[in-house]
Amino acid sequence: MTETTRETDMNERTIISVRNLVKYFPIEAGFLRRQVGVVKAVDDVNFDLNEGETLALVGESGCGKTTTSHCIIQAQRPTAGQVLFRIGDAEPMDLTRMEKEELKEARRNIRMIYQDPYSSLNPRMTLLQIIGEPLVIHRMVENQDELQERVAELLRLVRLDPSTLNRYPHAFSGGQRQRIAIARALSLSPKVVIADEAVSALDVSVQAQILNLMKELQTQLGLTYLFVAHNLAVVKYEADRVAVMYAGKIVEIGETEELYTNPRHPYTEALISAAPNPDPDTKYRERIVLAGEVADPGNLPGGCAFHPRCRYAEDRCRQETPELIDISEKEGQSHLAACHFAEKLELTGIAGSIQREERENA
Amino acid sequence: MTEIQSGGTAIDEMAPSTEGMNGSLLSVRDLQTHFFSREGVVKAVDGVSFDIKPGEILGIAGESGCGKSVTSQSILRILPKNGKIVGGEILFQNEDRLIDLATEDADGRVLRDIRGKDIAMIFQEPMSAFSPVHTVGDQIIETIRIHQEVSKEEAHDQAIEMLRRVGMPNPARNIDEYTFNLSGGMRQRAMVALSLSCRPKLLIADEPTTAVDVTIQAQMLELLRDIQADLGMAIIMITHDLGVIAELTDRVMIMYLGKEVEHGTVEDVFHRPQHPYTRGLLASIPKMEPGRVEIEPIEGVVPNPYAMPSGCKFHTRCPDFIEGVCERHEPPLTAVARGHEVSCFLYGGREALE
Repeated sequence: MTETTRETDMNERTIISVRNLVKYFPIEAGFLRRQVGVVKAVDDVNFDLNEGETLALVGESGCGKTTTSHCIIQAQRPTAGQVLFRIGDAEPMDLTRMEKEELKEARRNIRMIYQDPYSSLNPRMTLLQIIGEPLVIHRMVENQDELQERVAELLRLVRLDPSTLNRYPHAFSGGQRQRIAIARALSLSPKVVIADEAVSALDVSVQAQILNLMKELQTQLGLTYLFVAHNLAVVKYEADRVAVMYAGKIVEIGETEELYTNPRHPYTEALISAAPNPDPDTKYRERIVLAGEVADPGNLPGGCAFHPRCRYAEDRCRQETPELIDISEKEGQSHLAACHFAEKLELTGIAGSIQREERENA
Repeated sequence: MTEIQSGGTAIDEMAPSTEGMNGSLLSVRDLQTHFFSREGVVKAVDGVSFDIKPGEILGIAGESGCGKSVTSQSILRILPKNGKIVGGEILFQNEDRLIDLATEDADGRVLRDIRGKDIAMIFQEPMSAFSPVHTVGDQIIETIRIHQEVSKEEAHDQAIEMLRRVGMPNPARNIDEYTFNLSGGMRQRAMVALSLSCRPKLLIADEPTTAVDVTIQAQMLELLRDIQADLGMAIIMITHDLGVIAELTDRVMIMYLGKEVEHGTVEDVFHRPQHPYTRGLLASIPKMEPGRVEIEPIEGVVPNPYAMPSGCKFHTRCPDFIEGVCERHEPPLTAVARGHEVSCFLYGGREALE
């Protein structure tokens, strides 16, 4: 990580800077609810979100990716660390230190889209109310006509028929509901959208529609996305940069193509290898199947949290926790990995391509 | 009303036709399973046919509402109360007996003997396969002793052996554990052990990897591959994930709104997809390949099941829609290559309309 001189200094392209973010949950037990331990959900996470980019947070359940996104928007208050947010040329503000009223402005600019459009939309509200609610709360419209007009415009933006604004969510399919959720998120013209598994619950044909819609909207409105997901193929399609999380820490972060073709952390390598590929030619490829399960963030192993499942682990990994360090070989690129042997290991990235070429040549 | 309840069957008792099993273990012919509710009738499965040979792995794929799960529930006759098989045959070759599962009593002796013994099933959510108040071992031992005449001790040993085979870390201890003490991945393994405890001839796996993380999914697929090679049972893999189909199965059937749209070997269907829906599905999946690979979604949405489109069910979203044909007639299955069939007018069937 680039060390900055002043604690609120930010790279000029950066819109959100997450620094040393920590979120611990207490484990309580017994009649007196005495604290007997902590779940280290997020443990010293650092990254910058640059204006106009899509940064993906990937990892398996319990890795802390969703908690990280909640701590950014202050839906959960972090235990420690900073979340610096800057609008335009203004002084960056540290969201972790702001009170509820002060946060309103920031929250207008950072919006969320959730996984399940069946539970994230109130079934008793019409589209006009759902999409218009933030506009009313933030006093962005003067009267009912203006509200209707603005909501109709938002519906057109997400390619829904504006004449449906008096209908209820039940009349819409999963994909259409996710469009409604996007329209609501965009109603206040935010700078940043956090999409938490926004396409995971959708069928593939509809998932593709939403992925493309999000890309179009990004170009059209200059949005910045933090894309929280577990599906590596979806992330590869959508993100410019990817941060891989394991047991509350970022283990690798870099540009998407670089990270997928040249992974430097054994966990990233295993995730890429495990992702099922819709190509029968890769059926007999050698897969890395990790033994065991994701580390329990309430009872983490010492040293590198990944070492019990790592096929390259050595003694040092059991004792020392690796730092996230820059290992990029190319000038001007940033590729960080938290592995003692990041520079030595020969890891395999996306397969498939080789077999494909072979087939075409055959 | 009474005939709708109990998931019973409407067609008359008749002797199953024995011809043409061709060495198949299971032959589903023109299966129609409908759901009846106040809003109307949903034709969840509407004329589906397929065969599976001993030791073969067949995939059934499609998006939500395509009828893939209802097909599997029809085979085992575990449909919800308002679901009913209204037509077709489900022929199962059990030793030298040919049984039509579609006409047997769902709660009768024949099906109870087959379920769990000759045909077993694994589910998406392992907790739903187990009772939370009995140990894993008790449930496996119970299953073994229902279907086989063995002593308790023998069944106990078999259960431990099966837990060992599915890769449980400590079978002798795991056998006395309750499912809530096991982690997600271990529960999945225990469920596989339970389903395989009587060495079924056919294992139906309904989205077994959907709710688990990708590294656990990889473990599960490896387990199914190993155990299939080991025990040689046939598997029907039901999933929406075409990646899982490509990794595991020999043949695949793609379904859309209760209809079979295409079937063939995975190589044929994935490398030479013919039906516009199959092509659309494959084009909409982001690929794990280097470089930029664009994805193209299928336009529109899946129609409401109470208001199914006329003719070909896919015509409302089809980029190759032929006006005057597709919305009026149902396309027949047409062979485009040996063992590769498509139901689409682009490949034939229009001559018969004139």
